[in-house]
Amino acid sequence: MFPGLQLPELALSFPHGGMDIAFYAVAIVMLVTAVFTVAVKNILQSAVFLIFSFVTTAILYLLLHAEFIALAQVMVYIGGVVIFVVFTILLTSHLGEDAFATKIPRVFAAFALSIAFVFVMVKCLLPMPELSSGVVASAPDYSSLQNFAMRLLGYTQDSFIIPFEVVSVLLLMTLICAITIARKTKDEVEKEKEVKQ
Amino acid sequence: MFVPSVTNPIGDFVRNLVPQVTAYLPVAFQSETLDSVVAFLINAVICIIAVCAVNIGSAPILIYMERKVCAHVQCRLGPMRLGWHGTIQTIADVLKMLFKEVYAPSGADKLMFYTAPMIVLIAPFMVCALIPFSKDLVVADVSMGIPLIIAVNGFGVLGILLGGWSSNNKYSLLGALRSGAQIISYEISFAMILLFVVMISGSTNLMDITMSQQGTVFDWWIFKIPVLGFIAFILFFISSTAEMNRAPFDIAEAEQELTGGYHTEYNGTPFAMFYLAEYIALVTNSALATTCFLGGFHAPCIGFAPVDNVLNMVPGLVWFFGKVFFMIWCYMMVRWTFVRPRVDQLMDFEWKFLLPVNLVLLTAGAAWIAISG
Repeated sequence: MFPGLQLPELALSFPHGGMDIAFYAVAIVMLVTAVFTVAVKNILQSAVFLIFSFVTTAILYLLLHAEFIALAQVMVYIGGVVIFVVFTILLTSHLGEDAFATKIPRVFAAFALSIAFVFVMVKCLLPMPELSSGVVASAPDYSSLQNFAMRLLGYTQDSFIIPFEVVSVLLLMTLICAITIARKTKDEVEKEKEVKQ
Repeated sequence: MFVPSVTNPIGDFVRNLVPQVTAYLPVAFQSETLDSVVAFLINAVICIIAVCAVNIGSAPILIYMERKVCAHVQCRLGPMRLGWHGTIQTIADVLKMLFKEVYAPSGADKLMFYTAPMIVLIAPFMVCALIPFSKDLVVADVSMGIPLIIAVNGFGVLGILLGGWSSNNKYSLLGALRSGAQIISYEISFAMILLFVVMISGSTNLMDITMSQQGTVFDWWIFKIPVLGFIAFILFFISSTAEMNRAPFDIAEAEQELTGGYHTEYNGTPFAMFYLAEYIALVTNSALATTCFLGGFHAPCIGFAPVDNVLNMVPGLVWFFGKVFFMIWCYMMVRWTFVRPRVDQLMDFEWKFLLPVNLVLLTAGAAWIAISG
């Protein structure tokens, strides 16, 4: 069919243990929920499928023994981001009454684009030896909370205290900016009082 | 083949027992892999049954207790007719609820409507699995207990928001939005108090936190740090009451204003699930307070050997549930004593009072650790 295409020799390891089966099960659920997120017509339902997609991503992190990343994923995305997305959706009116539909040429273009993307991934990424080999074993408590925190917040040469503090200052700035935008000026407050009287 | 296993007396007992039993089977069925998988499955089933037994079993007891406490606060008798002092009344109510017809209001989003009660139940069940009920009785002895509790609490808000929206009812939506805003705000102080506990005990594992309070009553975190511990305990009590949507912070339900809030349209089993989630949250929050402040399953020793020996003869499970039910009684007394604040008062209280106090408390706790070494 494709004379120029030669499939690379794949060193894929097929499932031979509970963890492998768990990985494939979780990955399938993740992909299905991700597809539903974009395919479902009701916008709130798509938010809920997004949540399930995030949960399965967190489980994937757990399978990789990155517990803190998994918990941070649940905490930040489900406890924070998605809750606010749902909040905003709830506060918009006429939700889901006129389900939007995309035109066929756009669907076709999207389909062609995604097939091209898959092709590039298979052609360029799979032959890399680093990606097709098994998981590199790390020290048993490499990702434990204590070691993680020591690396993140320590002040030795290979730790990240300064980037961490810079990020926290950035977050504080955004918080203050949000409050400045949202708060009422003195004139507005006085006007409201006048209206009430 | 890798089969996850955590060393634990009960789990080890099962793991030892399974090879002995499979020795009687034909040789074709004998392999170490099969044994370990079977032992893992048996352990998993035991864990699930244990969590369900604690959660679902405690709900009827709590509903009965709530009715009795409420009745006695209001100088009534409460349920008296069915069984001795009305003890069978709750079981009759539960049966009635389970046999009711389940239907969704017209125009409701059916998928969301039936998913919401299940999402609400995620958080209480997961938190219950983390709590050490006794020295050997803990389902998941994970190193990141406290972050996990903070993380899964987000599911509660989600279930309430979805339930309120999908009911296709103005009152439900209002209740859901109120409760979402409330839980998101109070989650911050809830997490900060847990952070305080993590800071002073030096671990995020709930078993380690319990073991760090070993000794007499004065080694419990509520008394061990002068004044600060008690303030932290009170703050935890307030923020967890708000987290659970219980009165006086029940503006999400507020029967008189919102006719029941986010679960107005629910009936039968889905309503029972919301109700169950509320009461399991009561148990898990009391258990958290017990674990973090009241010494967990340790006996209230007073440092006088003859008395302590007698107290230590009582198993830890009994002490744990004794403390948990004391905490539940406190939550119930608060519910039937205080009046409900307005929505804006509630938000002011969290953002202008609880949060600054929490920050000061964290700093003071750090100072205490630095001073006491």
